[in-house]
Amino acid sequence: MESPTSAASRVDFYGFLDRMRRPEAAGLFRSIKSFLASLSLEEPSAEADGGRVQAFFAEMEAAIRGHPLWADATHQEIDHALEGLEKYIMTKLFDRTFVASPEDAAADAEVSDKIGLLQRFVRPHHLDIPKVLNNEASWLIAVKELQKINSFKSPWEKLLCMMSCCQVINNLLLNVSMTNDRTPSGADEFLPILIYITIKANPPQLHSNLKFVQLFRRETKLVSEVEYYLTNLISAKMFIINVNGQSLSMEESEFQKHMESATLGTQMSVAGPSSPQGLATSTRGLQKQIDAEAGSRFPFMDSETENLTPAELKQLHGLYRKTVTRYTLLSKALRKLSIDEDQLLASVDDS
Amino acid sequence: MGCSSSLPANSTGGLGNINNENSATDSKNLKVKLVLLGDSGVGKSCIVLRFVRGQFDPTSKVTIGASFLSQTLALEDSTTVKFEIWDTAGQERYAALAPLYYRGAGAAIVVYDITSAESFIKAQYWVKELQKHGSQDMIMALVGNKADLHEKRTVSSQEAQEHADMNNMFFVETSAKTADNINQLFEEIAKRLPRPTPPS
Repeated sequence: MESPTSAASRVDFYGFLDRMRRPEAAGLFRSIKSFLASLSLEEPSAEADGGRVQAFFAEMEAAIRGHPLWADATHQEIDHALEGLEKYIMTKLFDRTFVASPEDAAADAEVSDKIGLLQRFVRPHHLDIPKVLNNEASWLIAVKELQKINSFKSPWEKLLCMMSCCQVINNLLLNVSMTNDRTPSGADEFLPILIYITIKANPPQLHSNLKFVQLFRRETKLVSEVEYYLTNLISAKMFIINVNGQSLSMEESEFQKHMESATLGTQMSVAGPSSPQGLATSTRGLQKQIDAEAGSRFPFMDSETENLTPAELKQLHGLYRKTVTRYTLLSKALRKLSIDEDQLLASVDDS
Repeated sequence: MGCSSSLPANSTGGLGNINNENSATDSKNLKVKLVLLGDSGVGKSCIVLRFVRGQFDPTSKVTIGASFLSQTLALEDSTTVKFEIWDTAGQERYAALAPLYYRGAGAAIVVYDITSAESFIKAQYWVKELQKHGSQDMIMALVGNKADLHEKRTVSSQEAQEHADMNNMFFVETSAKTADNINQLFEEIAKRLPRPTPPS
């Protein structure tokens, strides 16, 4: 299948632009300009814009089919022109139509946060993925394809990222069924893997990307196989939003416990002075940071005991209480995450 | 278990044919979206693979994906029907997602396994769901698969037939393994599809 970045699709697009610059195309070009101008006068609304853009695509399709510049064009050449048109229009309208409302932005954040938590504890067996289909290498390719979704602004290119991801999964299923002489189980295996890949990938702005493709991909092209695979990704999103203990074959209380510790883990990694980036990149840097902080937060580190005034002793005792409370909480949090405290400390010391 | 035939030589195993899908539907060439429902393990995808592989037409473009398949069937009255077959995940945890798939479908096949009473209960659930939420004129078939395992049968064909009659469906027992009744199933659906009225 054609990749969105392939030379062929770039040539299509520039071919379209070239043709549009010809004097004979002036009429078409004027239609495009006036459509964009008229839309800019309307209050932005993704759904209403979707309807207007689809009507314009249909109108332009008829105009291009009847235009002398495409008089001898093959079906494919006309199709390329229409792809070019879609890309041109939607690139111009991207800022207006993609994540068009605060609700969309909130929905994106909700999905992404949820996935962030699920990533920490959902394993293939929770979704009924048989062991024989566990293939990290294939899965990683599928994940990467899905994550490319925001590299493109046209609905077709975004859709191609989703299709490529699905194709990688399909190839895996077919290869496994052929090499193991195993009956392929169709959607019983495809959907669980797609959901798992979606969780692993946490594709950026998943809700908005799906909505954008549904509203602005040319309607006549959102059919058959493409529609089927898009529906699968929509249902993966829906599964993730509504996930509970039952949908992962665990007790609701166990699920809640997982979600709580995942939340705790996420908070720890975004807040606090010892971020995981600090741990991973340079422990020496971390040590420096601790020393610097020690000056302001722990002012008695270098003091001599006999020189302390009663007031300072009181302050020291207060600090001691705070430190102990904080340490107790941190220990508890680490246990919840099943992290061994001593091992963690040893890993920081190993520099 | 299941369909024991090899993959066709021309299988591309991918989503190759995603352009130019808009073959117009006219009175001689119909196109229908068919959704497959049923518990996991009843052989939903085997039935379809059997059907798709069984058609011998070197000129037809067959799309073989793992869960979306399309195949064109030629009928005796010289009409053709292009089936676009949407498979659904049968596990309980995915049941709530099914409406996304059967929305807009012109036909549905509800599959159970004649050796599993549990899968028949699940099939009855799907029939009820389709009656409630599916489109009014959807053609529905109730299919008891694995008919070759009749010595292990736990669901009687009479019981299934009655359930089908009650819900205005047609009923057939198939074996994806021996290919029994597979073509008949799809031919029957094709015959029952509403024909568009020719322009006067």
